[in-house]
Amino acid sequence: MAILELSGITKRFGGLTAVNDVTFNVEEGEIFGLIGPNGAGKTTLLSCLAGDLRPNAGTVRFDGRDTTGLAADRMCRLGLGRTFQIPRPFPHLSVLENVLVAATFGDPDLHGEAIARRATEMLEYVTFPRSPATLASHLNAAQLKRLDLARALASHPKLLLLDELAAGLTPGELADMAALLRRIRDNGVTILMVEHVMRLILELCDRLSVLQYGELIAHGDAATVAADERVREAYLGQNYIL
Amino acid sequence: MTSAATNLRSVPLARRFLNFTWLTLGLAAAILVFEAFAQPSIVVTTLVTGGMWALMAAGLAMVFGVMNIPNFAHGELFLLGSFTAFTVYSPIREALLNDPSLTWLKILGPFPGMVVALVVGAIAGVLLEAVLFRPLRRRSREQWVMNTFLLTAGVSVVVINSYRLTIGNDFHGVPAYWDVPPISLFGVPISVDRAMVLVIALVTITLFALFLQRTGLGRAIRAVSQDETGAQMAGIDLNRIFILTMGISCALAALAGASLLFLFPAYPDVGLQPLYTAWFVVILAGLGNIPGAVIGAFIVALLQNLTIFYIQVGWVDVLPTVFIILILLFKPSGLFGSAVKGVWEQ
Repeated sequence: MAILELSGITKRFGGLTAVNDVTFNVEEGEIFGLIGPNGAGKTTLLSCLAGDLRPNAGTVRFDGRDTTGLAADRMCRLGLGRTFQIPRPFPHLSVLENVLVAATFGDPDLHGEAIARRATEMLEYVTFPRSPATLASHLNAAQLKRLDLARALASHPKLLLLDELAAGLTPGELADMAALLRRIRDNGVTILMVEHVMRLILELCDRLSVLQYGELIAHGDAATVAADERVREAYLGQNYIL
Repeated sequence: MTSAATNLRSVPLARRFLNFTWLTLGLAAAILVFEAFAQPSIVVTTLVTGGMWALMAAGLAMVFGVMNIPNFAHGELFLLGSFTAFTVYSPIREALLNDPSLTWLKILGPFPGMVVALVVGAIAGVLLEAVLFRPLRRRSREQWVMNTFLLTAGVSVVVINSYRLTIGNDFHGVPAYWDVPPISLFGVPISVDRAMVLVIALVTITLFALFLQRTGLGRAIRAVSQDETGAQMAGIDLNRIFILTMGISCALAALAGASLLFLFPAYPDVGLQPLYTAWFVVILAGLGNIPGAVIGAFIVALLQNLTIFYIQVGWVDVLPTVFIILILLFKPSGLFGSAVKGVWEQ
């Protein structure tokens, strides 16, 4: 069953068409990869799904209902979690408070004691390495990514949108992150990830879509996409060896 | 164990505290201690007026921090509060004049007016957001700060003149809420009214701080002031937070107006001085910084009371303003900087 169905999504900024007539489905329980060169419109597409931007045309169906144009906070409460390319924690709140906010407002089913419990659990789940009382502005890049992830998970998402979560991580951190994402998926959360780190994509993703100049140019399982001539030219470079 | 803690420890103590903010705070504290011996009445009046400016300034700072609205109609909420309290308290006062033996009414009489003012202020705030700011926000967020500045300044003019036309230019006040002999605080005789104002301010500010620090909604307000988009992505309904923020801010201003009715009777322009003072405070402390505004309120109150005592009352707005300008020359973002993400950074 498809948890997310996009059909004909188009987003224009003035004369520039950032996303053009994009259609694909994300199946429940899979890790779906969205790749493409810089400026291909990946983040814009995510913003259209998450309710941050309103598409000019096309429909988004999430979890069996039409959610086109719903505001981001509604989408979050419906079960869509998101992390950002550049993490956006609340800098003057502590790590725990950051997650508490998401647990309080992101999951309408959660009340009272359960909120604090959820927040603590999520920090443990992503194995957050520092004290929950640390101010978010004191964290380094890798820690911020984990915090962003814990915050997205605290709202109990059915679908997680990850925007370049692996960018800037060391190889060791990358392996940890891959294990973590697989564990999240195994716990029943569908993942749609935008990523540049091909190793992670090929390792994790069940299916891939490739975006170029706002249009889908290839679609399928990792091996098929990687072998696609257009993809090699557009994105990986002709001499890229997988 | 965190590295932030070790960072702090590695900075020499002297370096950490020898900066402009700490010097200013230290100087203010030193003056307070000196005056406590030399002229205790200055300390007492500073605490009383400071508490009220804190109520005004905290709300102003919060609305700027969360909604990026420079509210120049904040003084009219003060007016609304004082007139509401006057309206509610007048019949009670009449009953007391007819029958002075009603002791319980003597003690509790002023409170209904304050509570009603608080509620009316909150409703006014909710209406301001729902009727003015929300439609504007939906239409356009271009030039938001400038547009809301003009909008609130316009509201101020409309309210002042409507008040003048409908209610008139008379002073509606009370000589005293609690008509009893003054009590002694730190050896200074102080009227019960002023002592109560201090108590009300301290209790309200404490509750307000606890609300912001400890509750989910308080956390959401702080989250929105730091990153609107991030807050929305975490499931926070911005419209709810804006309504709440505006309601609380206006309720605090109305409460200030109601509690100070014996000092500031209700009349059309009564809100201007509290408005200007609250802006001095907010600019001094750093735009949008709520705890800073509370501390700043007491610093501005100290400056005002020193001016009144040592120079004359006519200079009460001049000298503090000069000091604030001097401070801003050294710390352009205010004494405590801005703890929020202002509109310019978004």
